Amino acid sequence: MELTKVKFTNLSKELFPGITKAKVIEYYIKVAPKMLPYLRKRAVVMHRFPDGIAGKGFFEKDAPSHTPSWVKTFRRYSEHAKRYVNYIVGDDLDTLLWMANLASLEINVTLSRVDDFEKPDIVLIDIDPAQGSGFAEAREVALLINDRLRELGLRSYVKTSGKRGLHVLIPIVREYSFKDTRAFVRELGRFVAKLRKEVKIDYAQNAVGKTMAAPYSLRPLEGAPVSTPLAWEELEKGLSPVELNINTVPERGDPWCGFFEPQRLEVRYGA
Amino acid sequence: MELSAKPPKRAIWSGSITVGLVNVPVKLYPMIREKVFSFRMLHRRDNAPIKFKRVCSKCGEEVPLEEIVKGYEVRKGEYVVFEEEELEAIKPASSKKIALEKFVDLASVDPIYFHTSYILTPDKSEEAYALLLYTLQRTGKAGAGRLTLRSKEYPVLVHPYRGALIATTLHYPHEVVSPQDMEELQGIKEPPEEELELAATIVDALSDEFDLASYRDNYVERLQDLINKKLAGEVVVVEEAEKEEVRSLMEALRKTVEELKAKQE
Repeated sequence: MELTKVKFTNLSKELFPGITKAKVIEYYIKVAPKMLPYLRKRAVVMHRFPDGIAGKGFFEKDAPSHTPSWVKTFRRYSEHAKRYVNYIVGDDLDTLLWMANLASLEINVTLSRVDDFEKPDIVLIDIDPAQGSGFAEAREVALLINDRLRELGLRSYVKTSGKRGLHVLIPIVREYSFKDTRAFVRELGRFVAKLRKEVKIDYAQNAVGKTMAAPYSLRPLEGAPVSTPLAWEELEKGLSPVELNINTVPERGDPWCGFFEPQRLEVRYGA
Repeated sequence: MELSAKPPKRAIWSGSITVGLVNVPVKLYPMIREKVFSFRMLHRRDNAPIKFKRVCSKCGEEVPLEEIVKGYEVRKGEYVVFEEEELEAIKPASSKKIALEKFVDLASVDPIYFHTSYILTPDKSEEAYALLLYTLQRTGKAGAGRLTLRSKEYPVLVHPYRGALIATTLHYPHEVVSPQDMEELQGIKEPPEEELELAATIVDALSDEFDLASYRDNYVERLQDLINKKLAGEVVVVEEAEKEEVRSLMEALRKTVEELKAKQE
């Protein structure tokens, strides 16, 4: 039996200092069982580095002309780009490995699924430390947000951005618009801003066609860090995001228990 | 004439030029960059490149580099074997320096002996290099010496050209065939005077300056054309052969595929 439809090429090419393409593909193979559920039915934007992170990277929003026929695509008019975009749909192991073989170090996904693209099923709270502050500040803000969301009766999930920030995700039923989720995050941002000034909450990411680094995506930085799902207790104890990388993450379990049970976003944010 | 070959990236030799007690450290770069087209051999059936292996002619097994020594065939099937160190030990002094023993007029050297030319550049020795260059320019002479490249010692002339020192290697007279040794040339006689005079007037009428720039390599241009046409139509894409790396990836992949299957059930 054939294990994959993908033919791996240029495996000895160095993509990160000291890390070959073979190692990158091996990473995606190993995390695939944990990662694939978060890609399924989502439009994917590849961030490709054919010459490694030392060279130029580019975002590939459209399925390239050489896309094999077995890769699912999704065509949709983009208001932002003012044209039709032929998205790649993250679907199965072969698609993931095909992207890895194209030196797509970073794999970004939309906050909605292609069968109802206008309706988000994830609310993203992107916690980005401002200049001069770092992961420690992002951590404090994330913990504050979690407390606040618990008060509202909402389960949320946290992952490292792979850089200095953190992403908090709330899985929701597909009954709200991106306008609703944006308003919800903006409201949360206002609440945080009263307590903490050095950290920015980017609510504008909650928009149709916008993407975030997928859970378990590598980030194009030295040391090959990973946008890693965490348990809230892990974050409370404290950790170093650079230690979550291509070498360590495959050994971890998936801490996001219950992610695929969507919740209602109560309209209390408007009150 | 404009010289337009691409400058080489790496020096192929470094050492020094010596004149008496004067020492000029230099690097040697290829000056002649012959443009040749090279084709890869492909297997007709699947267009995969043909690979060469070092195989023992007796046991048929592939031989790793560290098990290979050099041998010189003295009689059919009989070899004298050499280790790398033995060969290194007998390399002439000219493998590290070009000693200029005398100075001659470059024009007095028969061009038939010219083998190839190299550009010499100063190796942190700009002043000494300049002194030698300007002296040769002023006197119009070329320095004669020897230079060992790879496993051969050549007679060499060091001469100025377009603001640089050039090393031109020469063939030995015993490497050049004398035309008089060609049998077909034995019976050539001088033609009658009138015929010669008439032919000379034709040559006079066609006399011109020699312009190398007007010559082109027609074969290479036609090949390039053909390649462009093929590129537009029928390119053969070759998939890489399975390697060690692929095998280890397949091992990891087998586990993942099993894990995904187990989840589905």
